[in-house]
Amino acid sequence: MQSSAAILIVDDHDGFRALARIMLEADGFAVTEAATGAEATEAARIGRPGLVLLDIQLPDFDGFEVARRLAAAPAGGLAPVVVLTSTREARDYGGRIAASPAAGFLPKDQLSGAALRRFLARDL
Amino acid sequence: MNRWLRAALIAGATVAVGCFVWSSWLPNSQYAPVEVSFAVVGLSFMVAGIAAWQRWPASRLGLLFTIAGYLYLVPYILVNLANPAAWTIGNLSEGISGAALAHLGLAWPGGRLRSRFECGVVVANYVQNIAFNTAATMFWNPAFSGCNASCPANVLLIGNGSRPTLNTLDTTEALVGLVITGIVLTLIVRHWRSARGWSRRAMIPLLWIAPAVGAENILTGNLFHFSALVTYALLPLVLLAGPALFVISTVRARTAGGALGTAIVDLEPGAPPTRLRDALARALGDSTLQLAFRLPDGAGYLDTTGQVVDPARPGPGRAVTPVTEASGAVLVHDGGLEQEPQLIRLTAAAASMALEHTRLQAEVQAQLEQVRASRARIVEAGDAERRRLERDLHDGAQQRLVTLSLALGMARDRAAEADPELGSLIESASKEAREALTELRELARGIHPAVLTETGLTGAVQALVERSPVATTITAVPDGRFPAAIEATAYFVVSEALANVAKHARADGAQVMIRKFPGRLLVEVSDDGTGGARSEGGSGLRGLADRVASVGGVLRVDSPSGGGTRLEADIPCP
Repeated sequence: MQSSAAILIVDDHDGFRALARIMLEADGFAVTEAATGAEATEAARIGRPGLVLLDIQLPDFDGFEVARRLAAAPAGGLAPVVVLTSTREARDYGGRIAASPAAGFLPKDQLSGAALRRFLARDL
Repeated sequence: MNRWLRAALIAGATVAVGCFVWSSWLPNSQYAPVEVSFAVVGLSFMVAGIAAWQRWPASRLGLLFTIAGYLYLVPYILVNLANPAAWTIGNLSEGISGAALAHLGLAWPGGRLRSRFECGVVVANYVQNIAFNTAATMFWNPAFSGCNASCPANVLLIGNGSRPTLNTLDTTEALVGLVITGIVLTLIVRHWRSARGWSRRAMIPLLWIAPAVGAENILTGNLFHFSALVTYALLPLVLLAGPALFVISTVRARTAGGALGTAIVDLEPGAPPTRLRDALARALGDSTLQLAFRLPDGAGYLDTTGQVVDPARPGPGRAVTPVTEASGAVLVHDGGLEQEPQLIRLTAAAASMALEHTRLQAEVQAQLEQVRASRARIVEAGDAERRRLERDLHDGAQQRLVTLSLALGMARDRAAEADPELGSLIESASKEAREALTELRELARGIHPAVLTETGLTGAVQALVERSPVATTITAVPDGRFPAAIEATAYFVVSEALANVAKHARADGAQVMIRKFPGRLLVEVSDDGTGGARSEGGSGLRGLADRVASVGGVLRVDSPSGGGTRLEADIPCP
């Protein structure tokens, strides 16, 4: 059964992952991490997180591609809520964010447990 | 031609004509028109001689014309001298100029006879002429011609002469002369038929001399009898035509040098070698001219029609003139043209100049292509460098600032309850970090718009329009991606144009339209502002024009004062 409090953080930047883990765990989330697109799909398959915080810029393939794979591969369960994130702003990605199956976009500097819960609530 | 030779020829001609006029003036004054026509014919041959010497110094044609002129005039002078010996010699040599004319016709235009047979024909013609005339004079009593006491004595006369013998000799001479004239005319026709190109053109004056030879021999052969009008007026006119035509053709040949200049000037730069050959052939008057180039591997020569040419063996009646060593080109032309060394030299020089011009043109074109390509590479390298910088900023400093900002936010939340003062201190640090992040984002976007890399023109132009302070509509933007340099150029055109609209145009609205046509991308930005923008003035538009040119495009600015501004970039695009 998929836990709504389980979050997968996908980012190749160790410092960000560590900080986000501290922040989100303090907010009551169970956090797992992945540093690449491949690790992310694998971790999502095993851990069944309720939400994936997905950096767009990844070393192997970009966040849009990972979001597509996550949306396509829910083997017998619900697909996780995917929130794209980046140090850039949403408008730097033009229409690509709207066109992706992700639930939305959250700039990295505005990350908080409350902001993520809003995505979860909207998706329910 | 040698100055002294020319002076001597002119002096000789003047003296001969002067003597002729002086000697014939008083006794035959009633025949003045006839005498003048004879003088003019003799003089015309001498003038043609000078022209031939001048035009073709290597040919004996000048000598033959001059001899024909003297042989024509001198017998009449001798006859008019009223001295028995001179009178006799004059009478018996009167027809010899016809043999000289035949000689001239056969030797045309090189001045040399082409075979032993032709030499034999010419010698036989001179010999029969002198022999028959001498023999006939021995039997000619001047009284037979109604000339009793008024004529000087015939010093060769045997006894009282013999009218039947004289008639037999005259008839035989006429028949022999007719046969030889027939042979001469046949040979000349054969020369004409075998001549090509320049040689055939050079034979045009001969077309009139040949009938003249025939007419002269027939008329002076005493076989037929014509009226005095034909003998003394028509015949000289026919004779006059040959030298006159030759002199005219010589004058025309002298203008061939000018024609060469015109031919080269008319040749547009970079014209193919075929055009050069045609121009040279026209100027030279040699339709058989070939312009051949050495093959790059040195394996031989090919002419402009792709035929193999061997400069060492150009073929019978052909000659070779190298254009220049450097160009490896040769002219293969009619052999007769070797008589016009000056014209050939001029032609080779003209060809050399034209080829050199074409070579330089190609070189400049190649250099220009290189410069264009290197400019495009420089711009592309610059774009790539800016993309890399933007990405480095994003991956490095921006990432760290975001993390720092988040950490500060967390620290503030935790410190706020325990120590409000520390909390507000951390809050101000956090604010600084956020502002630094915003500034860094703007800087990165200015270096290279990530949205262009991410989404291409569609998203990038949309982002530009959204940021523009002037109300701007997008009329058209093609979907799909284009080469990075083209996308970047189109983006910078729209970006710079919208920035100008905001800064200078005082416009209420603007429009962006990007359309894809086969092979090109047309970017247009227009506004309804004050106009008056100049691409050569502002460095912004100048730089933009350079940027557009770097991908081979053209920037056009239409900005009438008070009529808005329309910026159009026409960019080649696959």
